[in-house]
Formats: sequence, C-alpha cells, structure tokens
Amino acid sequence: MKTTHARMRIGTAACSLALLMLAACGGGSGTTGGGLGSGDLLVGVLAPFSGVDANLGPAYYAACLAAAPSINSNGGVGGRQVKCQQFDTRGEPADAAPAANQMVASNSNLMAVVGCTSDEASAVAPIVNGAHIPMFCMTGQSEFNKTKLPYFHRLVPADIYDAYAMVGWALYGPSPAPFHKAALVFGDDIGSQAFVEPATNAFTKLGGQVKNFPIKLGASSYRTEVTQVIQYQPDVIFTEAIGSAGTFLGEFKTLNSGKMIPIIGTSATIDPEWFAAVKGAIGVDDIVKYYGGVDLGYSFSGPAYAEFLTNLNAAASTFPQAPKYKQRGSTLHLYDGIIMSALAMVETNSKDPKVYNPKIKEIANGTSGATEVHTYKEGVDALKAGKSIRFVGAGGANTFDQYNNSVSGYILVKYNAAGDEVKVQDLTTAQTERISQAGGI
Amino acid sequence: MSIFAAAFGFGLVSMSVIALAAVGFTMQFGITNMINLAYGQVMIASAYVAYYLNRAGVTIWAGMIAGAVFGAVFSFLLNRLVYAPFQRKNTSLLGMVIVSLAISLMIANVLLPIVGYFSVSYQEHGGSLVRIGDIVLTNNQIVIIVLSVAIMLGIHALLRYTRLGKAMRATAANPTLARNCGIPTQRVIDMVWLITGALCGVAGVVAALNSDSFAIANGAGFLITALAAAVVGGAGQPYGAMIGAVVIGLVTELSAAAWSPEYKEVVAFALLVLVMVLRPQGLLAKRGALAAAG
Repeated sequence: MKTTHARMRIGTAACSLALLMLAACGGGSGTTGGGLGSGDLLVGVLAPFSGVDANLGPAYYAACLAAAPSINSNGGVGGRQVKCQQFDTRGEPADAAPAANQMVASNSNLMAVVGCTSDEASAVAPIVNGAHIPMFCMTGQSEFNKTKLPYFHRLVPADIYDAYAMVGWALYGPSPAPFHKAALVFGDDIGSQAFVEPATNAFTKLGGQVKNFPIKLGASSYRTEVTQVIQYQPDVIFTEAIGSAGTFLGEFKTLNSGKMIPIIGTSATIDPEWFAAVKGAIGVDDIVKYYGGVDLGYSFSGPAYAEFLTNLNAAASTFPQAPKYKQRGSTLHLYDGIIMSALAMVETNSKDPKVYNPKIKEIANGTSGATEVHTYKEGVDALKAGKSIRFVGAGGANTFDQYNNSVSGYILVKYNAAGDEVKVQDLTTAQTERISQAGGI
Repeated sequence: MSIFAAAFGFGLVSMSVIALAAVGFTMQFGITNMINLAYGQVMIASAYVAYYLNRAGVTIWAGMIAGAVFGAVFSFLLNRLVYAPFQRKNTSLLGMVIVSLAISLMIANVLLPIVGYFSVSYQEHGGSLVRIGDIVLTNNQIVIIVLSVAIMLGIHALLRYTRLGKAMRATAANPTLARNCGIPTQRVIDMVWLITGALCGVAGVVAALNSDSFAIANGAGFLITALAAAVVGGAGQPYGAMIGAVVIGLVTELSAAAWSPEYKEVVAFALLVLVMVLRPQGLLAKRGALAAAG
C-alpha cells in the first residue's frame, strides 16, 4: 500500500511536471484582444525529419522559411510575425500522433500546419482538424479524395493522378516511348502502393503489361528483387521508392550488366535528394538519359515565383539546404498555402481558424470579379482597397473542389545534369481523360 | 538464370556482412555484459568516415581501415566515458540498455546535421560482374565475402589460441574470478571494445558498400539485423552469431526468391521467434567460444 501511494505521488509529480513543461512551451505569445491578436504566429511543419523519409520534412520547412519573410516584411498578419517550427513525425503514425498532439497542445498561436505526408496523414489529419487548424497536406492517399475534414487542404493531386500521368508518359511520351511492359517498383507500405492499382488498371486496359514488385523501403539491398525485375524483362520501370531508389536502381544497373532501362518517376521524384541518391548510384549520364518524371505544370517564373526564389535563397543563412528546393513542387505549394492562410486571416480580420479557414478556399479559387494577386503584399493591398482577391502563387493557380482538393494539369519532365527539371511536353486533357477512364478509379 | 541460385549468391554476401556486424555485437555482450544498442549508429558513422575519405580520393578499402579505426576508438571511448561509469554504479542490465538507446539517439541526432538525411554512394560501389553458374556477384562482393571469412577465422584464432583470447573467455565466464586469478580484466575489456569497435567499423563500411546507396536512417536497420543474428545464434556467442548470420542472410534472400520479397523479413523474424520458442538460449549458447574455458 505504501508502495502504491509512493507510485501515485511520483505519478502525480510527473504529471505536474509535464503540465508545467507544456505550459512553459506553450505558444510564447499572448493573443490578447480581438481581431488578429498579438504576438508571434506559428506555422507547424509536421513531417518526417528523421527516419526513411527524412528528406521530405526539409522541403516543407524550406517552404515556410520562404513564406514567412514574404508576410513579415509586409506588415505581418496584422503586425504579428510568422515563425516556423519543425515537428518530427519520423514518418511513422505511432510517432506522428504524439507529435501532432504535442504541437496543438503546446502552441496556441498555430495559424496553419503544413506537411503531413502519406506516412502520417491518416494519423495526424484528424488531430489537426480537431484542433481547428488549417492544414496543407502532402499526401496523395485516396482516402482524402472525399475527405470530410474541413480544415484539410491538398494542393497536390491524389496518387491516382500521378499514376495516370506516369501511364501517360509511358504511352504518349517522347521516344523511346511508347512502352509496353512495365515493372512497378514502389515501397510495400500503403501510401506507396496507392500508385499500383490505378497504374495497373490504366496501363493494362490500354494494351500494356505490368507487374508489381513491392520493396521494403530502407532495406540495405534489393538484389533478389532486382533479379526478379530483370527476369521479367520490362521496357520501363515506374517508381518512387523514396529513400531506396539509389540502392534499387544502382543494383539494377549492376546486375543488368551495367545497362539501365527507362525509368518513370512520380512527382515526388522531382526532388534534389532523390536526384542526388540516384545520380550517385547510376551516374549522372544515365539519370539524364533514362529518367522521365511527371509533375504539375509549373512555370517557375512570374512575380510570385520571383519572390519565392529570393526568399528561399535568403533562407540559406539559417537553413543551408533551402535553395535546393527551388523547383520542388511541394515547396512551392506549401509556400502558397501559408500565404493564403495569412491572407485569409487578414481578410476576415480574425485569428480564429473557424472564421478564416473557409476564406482560404475562396482566396484560392477566387470569386466573380476577384482581383488576381501573386504576392502577400499585393493581396493585402487589394484587401485594404476593398477588393476581393484570387491568389495565384508560386505554384500557379489552385482550384479547390468541395473536398478541398486542388488538381491541375500535368507535364512530362526530365532532369538535366544539374538536377533541374526540364519540361518535355504537356499531357493533353484528352490523353488524361482516356487514361482516367481506363483506370476507372 | 535460376532465381534460387542467384538468391543463394546474394545470401552469401548478406551473411558475410551480417556476420561482421553480429560477431562484434555479440562479443560486446558476451564479455562486457553490455547490450549496446548504439552499435548500428557507430556502424553508420564509420561508413560516413569512409565516405568522406573516399570522396577526397582515398580508395574505399583504405577508407574501410579508417572506418575500423574510427569504430574502435569511438567504441573504446563510449565504454570508458559512458557505459563503464554506469556499470560501476551497478546499473541494471535494463538500465544499461536504456543508456545505450539514449546514446544511439544522440549519435543519430548529432550526425544528422553533419552528414544530412539524404542517401550517398561510395565512388567505387558495384564493380564488374563475376558469374559463377547462375550466381552473379560483383568484385566488391567477392572481396567482402573473402574479408568476412578471413576476419571470422581471425576471431576464432584470437579466442582459441591467444592469451588475450583466453583472458577474454575467462572474463566473460566470471570477471571476479578472472581478476582474482591475475587477469587484468579492465585492460581485457578495453581490448574487447577496441576489437569489436573495429569490427563494427568494418561492418558499417562493407554494409554501405554492399548497399550501393546509404543514408543515416540505415543505422537502425543495421542494428536490427545484427541483433537478430546474435540472438538466433545465442546471445554472447561469437560462433553462434556466425551461424545466425548464415541463417538470417540465406533465409531472407531465399525466401524472397521462393515467395514474395515483401515477406523476406517476416520469414527471417518468424524463424527468430521459432528458435526462441524451441531453444530460448539460442543455437549455440552452451558450446560457444565464450563459454568457460575448460
């Protein structure tokens, strides 16, 4: 009994200490008064910063580091400065849920959350939604295609559209396409395998053969898997394999007597780390020659992109890797998401997410007669002039559907030797529709 | 080409890499009574030492020696500065496991900003192919197999035929008695950490070399494989770890060929569970090299 009491005392003390720590960590800024309040605002970057997908978080953090000065140097959000903070999910739902809970419990000044990849979106999106914080997630999972979470926003297409675009590359891309026999090499996790069914349906119904070769991401070797792929004799490999592409493709080249075959990657493979890993494993000449990827149609130009690029380069003083993400689609989109959130707060003159969250969609899609703006400053100026606005940012125009999913057209791309994306051709609407119908999901 | 023959060849490479890692890990436990969960992180840190030297123009084999030296010195210091003081305070085995887990996390988080989270490759990865029937190996993989066999023979010779080896076995069996018999157990333990640290360093470099591309996140995977082989063979038994490496290395590759690669780890760990059920002490617990010298 004495032991039980002692344990209770220890437990109580531990709980008290934890509460004290939470209180000490909490926000750090008062939000007194109505309207937009005061003190710093926080953007939570909830993503993997360690683990197999540790390359994802930094791309999203870079987006925040670029967006914050756009807002802060133009008066902030009603004078409030925007800060960025990493919350590491380790790419695992079991670690992500506590990270999300800790983030929302200890930061009363959260204005938006960015990140939440396919690794952890299912676990964290309900938590962030329950805290009424607008979130911009980088997940392609189909479960969010018709989500009922009002604070969820997705500026990237669902994985099925990436899969269809890859099939588009294989069927309608430049020579040596069209391809007829594809090996699908994706991680064996649920998120990665989301590409498989739509790609298989579409490719086979349009005359191709396809076989799935799931791999365990993060393994030190895939020689047996590679041998099976080589025995299948594909003329193209569809892949993503974040964190393992270098190992898999390096072993493929070695075991295929030093010869590569064409590779078609998802939009997530348009990534400096993916490029560096694969370049190191198969050589720059082969990646330039054999890689083809799919991406949303970015212009990488215009006033919004110029400001994004300037801020991204400036962020190198605190985050040296930041400039590497100058052509990373997710970085551009999350940059836009943060600025749209800030503009929504300004337009509603409210720090309450329940009030400004619906305005985000309106600012993205625009209303009749809305003034098109490209930067935070342009947006604030237009709002002050009493105009309604449509924000077309660094990632281009957005069109949210009723489920807060924004989809736009695809382009087919390659890498140049420096690792920059080079547009090869557009995927036409007719081509996309034909593939979507064949995919049937 | 027979997929099973090819998988057998790959299994030979895998078991060679695993054996290097597992023998060092299990010797640390067998002789110093320390389950060092930071082992995988020291492996990956050693791999990066070789990587930076390789990038500066040093051959990967010279880099491997540097990795071994780094692993040895780092492990020695880790024991002297962290583990030994806790052990002197009679910290429980579970407490020591937690300490090593904390060290593992600290190493990973210190390394992350230095080496980055992205994958890198040695400049000499791969190498030309050698075909022996349906077995296909690269030159580097053949060197890894030969190196592993040579080191295993060296460990056998050390433990069986040298004064140091006998002192290690005596220390493993009963450190108090060994000390009373005049064996300088502290010096023996220092040597154990230097030798197993060097093994750890070599294992890290060959694992990274064998992998074509590696990243900081691979450290955890290295540890799990070494741990599995050590447990299958009998914790603390170097020969058991060698057998465990053979089992884990071959089973994972052959099961990938027979069924789906998705299940190769499942099969390996199902085997581990089976061994634990049928023979909880591991395959060689009673007859290992670190059993009391007779």
